[in-house]
Amino acid sequence: MVSSFCWGCLTRLPPAPRAILPPTLTAQRVASFHSSAALLAPPAKKQNKPVGGKFRQGNSARMKKKKPVERTRPPAVGERKALRKRIILSNPNALEIPGMKEVSEETMVDARLRGSILGLPVPMLDQLRAVQAFKPKQGWSIFRRPGTVVRRETLELGRLIDGISGEGEDKGKVVKKIVTGDRSTGKTVHLLQAMSMAFTKKWVVVTVPEPQDLVTASTAYAPLSDENPNVYVQPEASAALLSRTVAANKQVLSGLTVSREHAGLLKSAVKAGTTLEDLAKMGIQDPAAAWNTFQALWTELNATSPAPGFEKNFKPRPPMLVTVDGIAHWMKESKYNNVDVKPIHAHDLVFVQHFLSLLKPGPSQSSLPNGGVLLYATSASNSPTVYALDVVLKQLAARQAGVSPSSPEFPQPDPYLNADKRVLATIDTSKPVAPKEGIPEIQTLGGLSREEARGFMEYFARSGLLRENITDAWVGEKWSLAGGGVVGELERLGRRLRVTAA
Amino acid sequence: MACPSSNGLVHAMHSLRQTAQLRSFAQRSVLSASAPIRHQQRQPARGYATEVVEETDKTTEKPVAAPEIDFSQFKSTPTRIIPVSGAYFSGSPKFIDHLLKLESILAKYAPLPTVEPTEAPRMAWFKLPQFREVVGEPVATKKYQSLLKILLRLNRIDQKLMPDEVRDALALFTRPGNPYGFQPAPPTVNENGISRAKGKRKEASAVVHLVEGEGEVRVNGKTLVEAFPRVHDRESATWALRCTQRLDKYNVWATVQGGGNTGQAEAVTLAVARALLVHEPALKPVLRKAGVVTVDARRVERKKPGHVKARKMPTWVKR
Amino acid sequence: MVFILGVNFPERNLVKKSLESFFGVGNLSSTRLLARFHIHPTCKVGELANKQVLDITAALSDMKIENDLRRQYLDNIKRLKETGTYRGRRHALGLPVRGQRTRTQTKTANKLNRMERRV
Repeated sequence: MVSSFCWGCLTRLPPAPRAILPPTLTAQRVASFHSSAALLAPPAKKQNKPVGGKFRQGNSARMKKKKPVERTRPPAVGERKALRKRIILSNPNALEIPGMKEVSEETMVDARLRGSILGLPVPMLDQLRAVQAFKPKQGWSIFRRPGTVVRRETLELGRLIDGISGEGEDKGKVVKKIVTGDRSTGKTVHLLQAMSMAFTKKWVVVTVPEPQDLVTASTAYAPLSDENPNVYVQPEASAALLSRTVAANKQVLSGLTVSREHAGLLKSAVKAGTTLEDLAKMGIQDPAAAWNTFQALWTELNATSPAPGFEKNFKPRPPMLVTVDGIAHWMKESKYNNVDVKPIHAHDLVFVQHFLSLLKPGPSQSSLPNGGVLLYATSASNSPTVYALDVVLKQLAARQAGVSPSSPEFPQPDPYLNADKRVLATIDTSKPVAPKEGIPEIQTLGGLSREEARGFMEYFARSGLLRENITDAWVGEKWSLAGGGVVGELERLGRRLRVTAA
Repeated sequence: MACPSSNGLVHAMHSLRQTAQLRSFAQRSVLSASAPIRHQQRQPARGYATEVVEETDKTTEKPVAAPEIDFSQFKSTPTRIIPVSGAYFSGSPKFIDHLLKLESILAKYAPLPTVEPTEAPRMAWFKLPQFREVVGEPVATKKYQSLLKILLRLNRIDQKLMPDEVRDALALFTRPGNPYGFQPAPPTVNENGISRAKGKRKEASAVVHLVEGEGEVRVNGKTLVEAFPRVHDRESATWALRCTQRLDKYNVWATVQGGGNTGQAEAVTLAVARALLVHEPALKPVLRKAGVVTVDARRVERKKPGHVKARKMPTWVKR
Repeated sequence: MVFILGVNFPERNLVKKSLESFFGVGNLSSTRLLARFHIHPTCKVGELANKQVLDITAALSDMKIENDLRRQYLDNIKRLKETGTYRGRRHALGLPVRGQRTRTQTKTANKLNRMERRV
């Protein structure tokens, strides 16, 4: 092999590395290779020992008397959790970036913005907070204002959302995606970006930010009805879903009115002129009716034409964005018990059932007749191991790569590992009836490209967090250290306070 | 020319030589009528490496020595069996024979030109236990060391001028086979442009395949982030590339096993540095300065019986 | 405050914990009760619907708990004693009943085994 370097030039290399190595390296013999040398470690704590002078004293075996502990009142119920879940979106100490663009109808499809940071519009933040798009540990609090990096997948998503709400051939299309990827590759932020775009386009956004809460047996449950006692409804969780949806989509829902009668609801409450917002609020006020209300709301949002008698004020429904962050929790038995003290499978919870059924093609029409996007993300940090789900995802990936399901390379569940049949049947890739309905796809998020990573690191530098000259070489180095541009790792590298010894 | 040996040994050898001379004198006088037995002819005059000065002092006494007795001329059996070796009564006669033989050879060929010790061919001398087995006698460590010194001195004689006698004598003291004869071929970049190298640190051992590329790093098939959650470990694993500013010019495929996080990361460091040296040998000074070429041979010290840990002793208790 | 089987429980208490405060209701029985009436394990007493409270009370009143169970306990011991069995004697002597050693470590037996056992 011929090296592409000039040997003569290499002999003149030493000056450059010398600049990199901390100058104290020669003096310090320990830990010679890494930038975070022991020098940079916090100084060792002084030990509080009396030095010299005193004689050694014998230790008696008697225990010391316990000091009376000062007991203060414990914080109020829910206060500690609120503190833990608190999300700070702005840091006045960070520098403001002049000329930072915001998510808007133009910027979300602009390919020139790839690698730059798009800020989230301030009025939208309340909506995003309402759907719990931000997570506490995402590091929003280090910047002046929240923003996300535009990567390849973001642009694709922007074009998709633009196409579905536009008047082109993509209008009314349903795209179903399962977002996977390694730890901190930006899956949740990808969902956040989708939500911000959907809000810009005046879509209806329905989210399940914490699927785990539905299966840990921490909210009330009850059999759905006497006819099917093996399906369970979760009133509190349904009410919470409704309140999220209403808070985030107030503007859209208040402009739409009821288009039909609903069997599960009081006839006196739902009249022809009732807005969908009022409809949903009924469910929030009465959790017992929350699930029926949600179903009514769902039918309304998916209505394509009004029922007779309700034609007045009927407006076409906007497309929908449905996101679930962490579906693995829904793929195993929940912590709830049925009457026979056997665990209830998560698929028997009607809430979960509803959202998972969207992955299958609708029986007569599309699962989202007005078009929309389903984004179901997996989680790499908080997720139970579900073998069947792994198989399903592998199968999806294989199908996408063009492996036919009948070929021997197609991944099959190991018959001895007892893969959960219900989970295997979750994703149905049969041809949908509706022409505009897509089959579920898998989208694997990886690292950023070098250019995107550079834009991201420049954002840190311009916010005043990073005091480095952002060069290609420096970015390349960080890109490799971050495992090929994993965005969360890049953030960790960028926010790490560096004290250069020079 | 005098062989540098410890004082005690010199004294011991002196006394031995003197007794040997005395005995041969006594043999000559007392056993003159004894018949010969088959045995090896001994060198009548020895050049002692250690005795040059003394011999010049004793030149006046030398002519006193009687002519050598030709044992083949004896007709009758001796009344007492004469030991073959003069060192028979010394406790380790074979060893002393060897030593004396080597000394005589050294004295004989001392004037031959020598080379620097580093340039002399590396020889696998007997280890002490092996040597003890070969001679079948108890040999003290120190004495064997003095023998080794002579061997090393003889080995330093210029190879072109080395007499066969020396060569044969040296061959007697080498282990069978030649452990140092095999020189591994210097590693090269293979036809696919991949260089391969190994590295070890603590309990971990890494094999690295390095190829020119865009800076992808895979450890056991996982990305760097998955393999090393700590940034520190990631940095140290890629330090060889980083300090030479080659991080985005090579792809690394590493397999590492054993040990913990730190050990694995630094085993990868060493292996990457070695693999990089195959691609670009000129980087050696830089890498050396960055501290990635030097092998860290430290291992965990074993625990000893009677100790709490490797060195720690139990607390002293009165009674 | 919620009455379950005539006992008053503060609303902030867990239902499961409250049920286990009855003599004769442990982890297993309380889990079964909760599952039977579709109450999730982290439910607080205050969150129970009236019907659920009544259901639980009805179910508890069908079970042999509290004083009934205590009486059964003592009756069993008494029966052993009256039939003159070894176990009955051991109870009366305050010694271990099930063949444990008596040289040491009989504290529990000394404390508990007596004719009128405190339960």
